[in-house]
Amino acid sequence: MTPFRLIALTTAAFAVGALLAPSAEAQKRGGTLTYTYQPEATAMSTISTTAVPVALISTKIYESLLEYEGAGMTPKPGLAESWTVSSDRLVYTFKLRAGVKWHDGKPFTSEDVKFSIEKVVTPNHSRGRTYFGNVATIETPDTHTVVFKLKAPVPYFLRAFQPSETPMMPKHGFADEELAADKIRQAKIMQNPIGTGPFKLKEWKKGSHIILERNADYWKAGRPYLDQVVMRVLPDGAARAIAVEKGEVDLAPMNALPPAEIQRLSKLPQLVASQEGSEGLGPIMWLEVNLREKPLSDVKVRQAISLAIDRAKLVDVIWYGQGKPARGPVVSGNPTHFDKTLKPFEYSPAKANKLLDEAGYKRGADGVRFKLTQNFLPYGEEWVRQAEYIKQELGKVGIQVETQSLDMGGWLKRVYTDWAYQFTSNFTHNYSDPTIGVQRAFISTNIKQGATFNNSMNYRNPRVDELFGLTARLEDGPERNKAWAEVQQIIRDELPVIFLMEISFMNVWNKRVKGLISNGISMYTGWDQVWIE
Amino acid sequence: MRKTTLAFVVRRLLHLVPVVFAIAAMNFLLIKLAPGDAADILAGQMGHATLEFTEQLRRSFGLDLPLAEQFVVYIGRLLRLDLGMSFIQGVPVLDLIADRLLATVILMVVAIVLAVGVGVVLGVVAARRRGTWIDTVISVSALIVYATPAFWLGLMLIVLFSIVFDLLPSGGMMKIGADLSGFAYALDVARHLILPAATLGLFYVAIYTRLMRAAMLEVYSLDFITMARAKGLSETTVAWTHALRNALLPVVTLAGVQIGHLLGGSILVETVFGWPGLGRLVFDALLQRDLNLLLGILFVSSIVVVIANLIVDLLYGFLDPRIVHK
Repeated sequence: MTPFRLIALTTAAFAVGALLAPSAEAQKRGGTLTYTYQPEATAMSTISTTAVPVALISTKIYESLLEYEGAGMTPKPGLAESWTVSSDRLVYTFKLRAGVKWHDGKPFTSEDVKFSIEKVVTPNHSRGRTYFGNVATIETPDTHTVVFKLKAPVPYFLRAFQPSETPMMPKHGFADEELAADKIRQAKIMQNPIGTGPFKLKEWKKGSHIILERNADYWKAGRPYLDQVVMRVLPDGAARAIAVEKGEVDLAPMNALPPAEIQRLSKLPQLVASQEGSEGLGPIMWLEVNLREKPLSDVKVRQAISLAIDRAKLVDVIWYGQGKPARGPVVSGNPTHFDKTLKPFEYSPAKANKLLDEAGYKRGADGVRFKLTQNFLPYGEEWVRQAEYIKQELGKVGIQVETQSLDMGGWLKRVYTDWAYQFTSNFTHNYSDPTIGVQRAFISTNIKQGATFNNSMNYRNPRVDELFGLTARLEDGPERNKAWAEVQQIIRDELPVIFLMEISFMNVWNKRVKGLISNGISMYTGWDQVWIE
Repeated sequence: MRKTTLAFVVRRLLHLVPVVFAIAAMNFLLIKLAPGDAADILAGQMGHATLEFTEQLRRSFGLDLPLAEQFVVYIGRLLRLDLGMSFIQGVPVLDLIADRLLATVILMVVAIVLAVGVGVVLGVVAARRRGTWIDTVISVSALIVYATPAFWLGLMLIVLFSIVFDLLPSGGMMKIGADLSGFAYALDVARHLILPAATLGLFYVAIYTRLMRAAMLEVYSLDFITMARAKGLSETTVAWTHALRNALLPVVTLAGVQIGHLLGGSILVETVFGWPGLGRLVFDALLQRDLNLLLGILFVSSIVVVIANLIVDLLYGFLDPRIVHK
């Protein structure tokens, strides 16, 4: 048989095979998944910054000890094939998988784990101390065993091992001098990553695109399905929408498209727009209130502001329905820790007027009770329109609002460094456990000038501090939930912030892309299970 | 090149040194007036960071030093032509700029050549046909284009040529992952260049059309044109060989001035079309208070602008030999 005929016959055989194969959900090997996000990643590791674009790309390259399943983020084996927890919850022993290799061919060992946690993640990751501040020692009895000994129980310890939060990094990938705090962001590996993940960096054309290619030596046999993952930089929102509509881009993750465009695109037959897959992040938006300022220090004034805002309308009109009214500090999508007995916030301008009268802020001759200055997050058009809406609603109850526009640098300085604001919109994440994402904004020890996204309000309540102390220690269960319920109720009543809305992360993708949604942080997983039809 | 011209170029280049340094010093002080710094932004992007973390960042960037000391450090580095590291990206500023400079220069050169070329032709045609319907159509179109915002024009061009007719790509500089080389690569980049260059150039086409029309009409009123006509030369020869060269001077002057504007305009066009150029890099650097990167780009751009102006000055002498450089 001539080589030519052999090729022809094989091709024909493959063609027939493809036709006969069950087409319904048979994962196919090959293909390129292209996604777009703005801004572009500034590094290839969340050690450098945990900003969304960096988390999106680096989680395809780096893995952590565990993987997670479903919206509730149930831990399952990853780089660690099994683990045990001592009965006092102070010792965690992980058995590492054998035969895992770094992208440069060197073996992955327990030394790498110890190095990653001690030298890289704990001192340099923005949440490193939150996760591992209570670790006393990390021992490596053999190349495939890692033992963490804790000083005190950490209820969310098993949730810390996500690829964006605790990426495993190769010890041999760092020069000693690069580990210094002021040098780590400039380490070579931040731009030229060496991970264990399903994809390797192939090309990074700054300002244009990033290409990841399939890791042929990946430890999961047959995975990943995709040959390439391509990230395209398209800075203009409308241009991103056009690229998705035209099929030039397969996926616009994590609110990459403006809400108005999502509404239009979600009606196209070839596209899916879904809010699923971000439950582990728990985004929440509120009006941050400076309690040092009169009359905002008066709880009746804050309750009146809360009553004057129609959250349902805010969600529908300003945010095109992409979210739901907030119920308190813990997002309602959190299956374990949200207190379901919390009452929704009421909308009643009449009650707001009455409260303000009672508090002693009578209307003047011009109908104005007092004046406030409002800032807003410089994240785009919707935030401006929301600020205008709030100004209008508060005007109706006699609070005259002057809105002030700042860019990110100016906004951060005004709110967190100078505390020179009255109220501003703000947006934070609960993360998978409220001790990580909720506590930080409300405990009094976090009233620190200059640190971002902390207790800028100057909120102090000894009982709240005490309850957060409890929830940070207790094991998940009825007792911890009771403490969570009480703290949610207090914060909901005292309103150190005016809760507005749980924002949904919208992911828009082409129907030919399959298997994208796998857990509560789907866009921050390795995508080895994603395939293209 | 004549000896006097050469001396002129050398002298002008020497003059540039203090000018560029003055620009650099002013940039530094102006940027420092903006509230917030890169440590704030970086910590802010991460959603939450401890105070220790933010301060550690500030120390590592040298932003904890007194302003005067930071300034001395910056100027000292500049004298050694060292642009430093980008705070946010952690790579040398020079590498980032080198990566992007070519894309912006290509976009700018094509846009300006398009603008001057088309503007001159339309302006001459309009002047020759003054008062006819052709003049009216050209003048009114120029006015409309002049008044259209560039980002809207860009999006409309995408809708028309990329979506409706499906002729051209909607963004980017090349087909990603195609691994083209040589002629095929150049052709691919050219295809991606058409819409952004047209968007950036059209605004200037409008300006040069109007300017050229006015300049031509002025030259037409001069005696040497009457003389040329009296010699029996055809109107075409009069227009394209006698009048044009003299009418070009104001266009060249304006084009030189507008190199700086064009850099500004490219921010918008690069954003709409995802063109990987300097314009967007400077915009991101500003928003992120990436001081070293921002100062680096401004430094390089100021050099580009002053050199462009020098080239324009030399062009004067070429267009009108009566202008001698001393």
